[in-house]
Amino acid sequence: MVTAMTKLVKVIIDDREYDFPAGMNLVDAAKQVDVTIPVFCYHPKMKPVGMCRMCLVEVGNIQKDRATGEVLLDDSGNPQIRWMPKLQTACTMNVSDGLVLRSTSKAVDEARRNVVEFLLTSHPLDCPICDKGGECPLQNQTMEYGPGESRMNFEDKKHLDKHVPLGDLIFLDEERCIQCGRCVRFQAEVAGDDVLAFHERGRDLQIITVSDPGFDTYFSGNTTDICPVGALTTTDFRFGARPWEMNSVPTLCNHCPVGCNTSASTRLDRDFGGKTMIKRIMARQNEQVNEIWMCDKGRFGHHFTRSEDRLLQPMVRAAGGSLSRETWADAVAAAAKLLGDANGSVAVIAGPSATNEDLFTLKQLAAGVGSTRLGAWPPTHAGADLVAKVGVGKGTNLSNLGKGDAVLVIATDLEEEAPIWRLRVKTAHDRGAYVVVANARKTRMDDFADAVTMYQTGHAATAFADLRKQHPEVAERLINANNLVVFAGAEGLTLDGSRALMQACANFLIETNHVGRANNGLVGVFPGANAMGQHYLGFSPEATRDIIANPPKVLILAQADVVADDPAAAAWLSKVETVISLSLFDDEATRQAKVVLPVQSFAERDGSYTNGERRVQRFYTAQGPIGEAIPAWQAVARIAEKLGQGKARLSAAQVMNDIVAAIPAFAGCKYSDLAKVEAQFPQVGGDDLYYGGTSYKNTGGLGVQIASAADNGEAVALGDVKADAVKGDLIVVPTVRLYNRERVFQASEAQLMAARVAAPYVEINAEDAARLAIHDGDMVQVSAGAAQPVKVRAHVNGAAPKGTVLLPRNLQQTATALTIAAGTVTKV
Amino acid sequence: MLAEKYAARIDQIFSKYPTKRSAVMPLLHLAQEEFGYVNEEAIQQVAVLCDMDPTQVQSIAGFYTMYSERPKGKYWLQVCTDLACALRGADKFHKELKEHLGVEEGGTTEDGLFTVEHVMCLAACDKAPMLQCNFHFEENLDMDKMKARIEAWRAEAAAEKSGAKKASAKTKA
Repeated sequence: MVTAMTKLVKVIIDDREYDFPAGMNLVDAAKQVDVTIPVFCYHPKMKPVGMCRMCLVEVGNIQKDRATGEVLLDDSGNPQIRWMPKLQTACTMNVSDGLVLRSTSKAVDEARRNVVEFLLTSHPLDCPICDKGGECPLQNQTMEYGPGESRMNFEDKKHLDKHVPLGDLIFLDEERCIQCGRCVRFQAEVAGDDVLAFHERGRDLQIITVSDPGFDTYFSGNTTDICPVGALTTTDFRFGARPWEMNSVPTLCNHCPVGCNTSASTRLDRDFGGKTMIKRIMARQNEQVNEIWMCDKGRFGHHFTRSEDRLLQPMVRAAGGSLSRETWADAVAAAAKLLGDANGSVAVIAGPSATNEDLFTLKQLAAGVGSTRLGAWPPTHAGADLVAKVGVGKGTNLSNLGKGDAVLVIATDLEEEAPIWRLRVKTAHDRGAYVVVANARKTRMDDFADAVTMYQTGHAATAFADLRKQHPEVAERLINANNLVVFAGAEGLTLDGSRALMQACANFLIETNHVGRANNGLVGVFPGANAMGQHYLGFSPEATRDIIANPPKVLILAQADVVADDPAAAAWLSKVETVISLSLFDDEATRQAKVVLPVQSFAERDGSYTNGERRVQRFYTAQGPIGEAIPAWQAVARIAEKLGQGKARLSAAQVMNDIVAAIPAFAGCKYSDLAKVEAQFPQVGGDDLYYGGTSYKNTGGLGVQIASAADNGEAVALGDVKADAVKGDLIVVPTVRLYNRERVFQASEAQLMAARVAAPYVEINAEDAARLAIHDGDMVQVSAGAAQPVKVRAHVNGAAPKGTVLLPRNLQQTATALTIAAGTVTKV
Repeated sequence: MLAEKYAARIDQIFSKYPTKRSAVMPLLHLAQEEFGYVNEEAIQQVAVLCDMDPTQVQSIAGFYTMYSERPKGKYWLQVCTDLACALRGADKFHKELKEHLGVEEGGTTEDGLFTVEHVMCLAACDKAPMLQCNFHFEENLDMDKMKARIEAWRAEAAAEKSGAKKASAKTKA
């Protein structure tokens, strides 16, 4: 935003002189110096439109002599000001040298009074039953600037529909809408999906959608946040609670590597046994991570924390074979005995939602019994170590990417795997950044790219060489970009293929000198919330592969639902003598365990994650406990204590202190450091609800970004790229859908996301389909590698390249191929 | 499909504009001509033609009053009742016209021939009372003249109908 390059201009606001960077609009400028100009339609994340007229102010210019440039003075020696004859909308005017602004005057006050009075003539004033009541900009501004009384004849009031579903997740109350168009503009400008529009005009104006699919983007919930009235509400929360009865707890979304900062609105609730319950989740501002946005999966996907399938008590398998409920002490003793007797033949596989504290404690426990075998789950994405070397530089903010900068997205369907990165790369593209998408198939991201290049399925690592050869102009733009960020996933790649791609990305960045600086470097589009934490704490997918190949005597599964993800898991798990499972749910792997320890979800505990950009962020306890579940780190620490490895810590904060002391990367990441906040622009939230809506201010901390090796000035060397591609007539590529049937999404799915989760399908190329006599909509059997064949519906829709079939993971209860494999498709 | 039936006209419309999107309004008029009003089908087809989201097309159809989103009679009579016309008796004319046809404001006669509604200024104040029938002006009206016009339109419609019948009888034979 404000850089040394930006020209400063002198502006007088309410008789005081200030300097502002040229190009800033009057509303934002005034807010920076604590002068409030009320707005309804203007939002700093979108272009101003000047529709609501609430920001009318008096604007003038200091007069200068045209010949000399001298400021003209009046009789009393003050500069002469020529006032514009009418009030101006502050949101559509930028600061300029010599501009004079009056934010309050008789005319301004009257204009605001009239605007509010006019808006209220078609507003139902049903605040007592409105979800927004209590945190409503219209309410606030009516109290602050409104006339108190209306001259409206209320017989003439328009009555409109109050329950119009715009999609399955969002309801529109037509009466409450004040026609600011924020939702329409959000969809068009920010989300890039212009499925909302105005219809009719004047008092008949309504928000509509007739698109197919309709208002169904992954970002739809954000419109309810920025709606300055109660017109848009979520199906999930509406009529759920009043804003003033809820507390706001800073937490994190743990569904993907973006690590969106969120805020849980909680209250004591009858439906949850009188305990504190999360009623809704909203975005919490962190301009460097998620700005003020979040996706609908994170927003609505918190129901799993209160699922009836949650494990409530520790269980130990008796000699007879069935699991029986035990006390924690007995279960911990049983686990300790199993580990103690294992003679060092111990391994750990930790899932993607295990926190830094969980992972560190697991690492210590394993070390205590003589093991360093720490596996990361799922074992699909390699190269976190390379991200630690040449990851995006400290201080990176995707919002700063624009003209002259470039972004490469490779081997990932960013919209499905990390929606907020997709949104932020899209807006970077709009600001002028050169965006290249390289995949083996079409993805949604292609719509927001300057160049789309396709490589043959599985050959991502050679894409850079190909790029230089076949699309030299594209390569040139990337090489010469001022700043370059590469987002690399592992779609259609084996674990070795994924390493090759990450190495190729790292090499490209090193060669073109795009490392060790802010807004430059590599981001791994890894599964889950804490893949980088796994790396820093010693967990790797390669270790998982080794654990699968050489089964240990005792395997600890820490929130790793291996059977649901991997069709081969049942087979390799059976070779492990003993499984100790730390789990939220009674899943398949847990059913095979000797000791089952119920652990808490993110909602019930403190903890921290390390996101894809290596930012360590903490979350706070939002919800009351469930059963006897405890945080995973605590369960592990108690086992360690039983084994005589030292006393268990009392809090997550203490564990983090241990991490800081033991792992150099985490230097400066104590909880008190992670909790630090600083002023962010725009100043959303806060008591004045300045920019309207309820995007929450960040009070929980902005986190600390771990420096990459390149940031620290360490030499980063090029590495060998060993390409590895699967061969076959037909190659099955597992893909990721955001809405799926993974365990943590199932509970919310049952309630409101059910229709949003696609029925199991496979996408097949028209030529392949013709060869196999398969038609769009046929039921087919897909087999891939050693996986159990699955029956799904065939989509012949142009999505799959020739010779490749796309099989989304987790759309059904049985596991489908976890990694790319040669396979067959037959009609059934 | 509009694209097939009016291929040449659509090409000609597109040729006038720098982008496909810019042609949305004339194409909506074309669709309205074809379907009698802007129905769902019209929205979908124009959206495909202009490479736009259907919601955006619907929004345009909703904003402009010359697009009708409801079925209309064969003769769409829009009477200007703005101040200048009202001073020359347009209000009375409008009321009498509705009584004569037996319709409410915005309503359509049972035979599906006439829809009457009042509109804002049509820029023919000097020739009031006036109306536009399917976007063609009828000026300097009074009820006698109007009754004659209505009869003429009824005859026209009847002739078209029987002509169509004869034509279909011929093809059958």
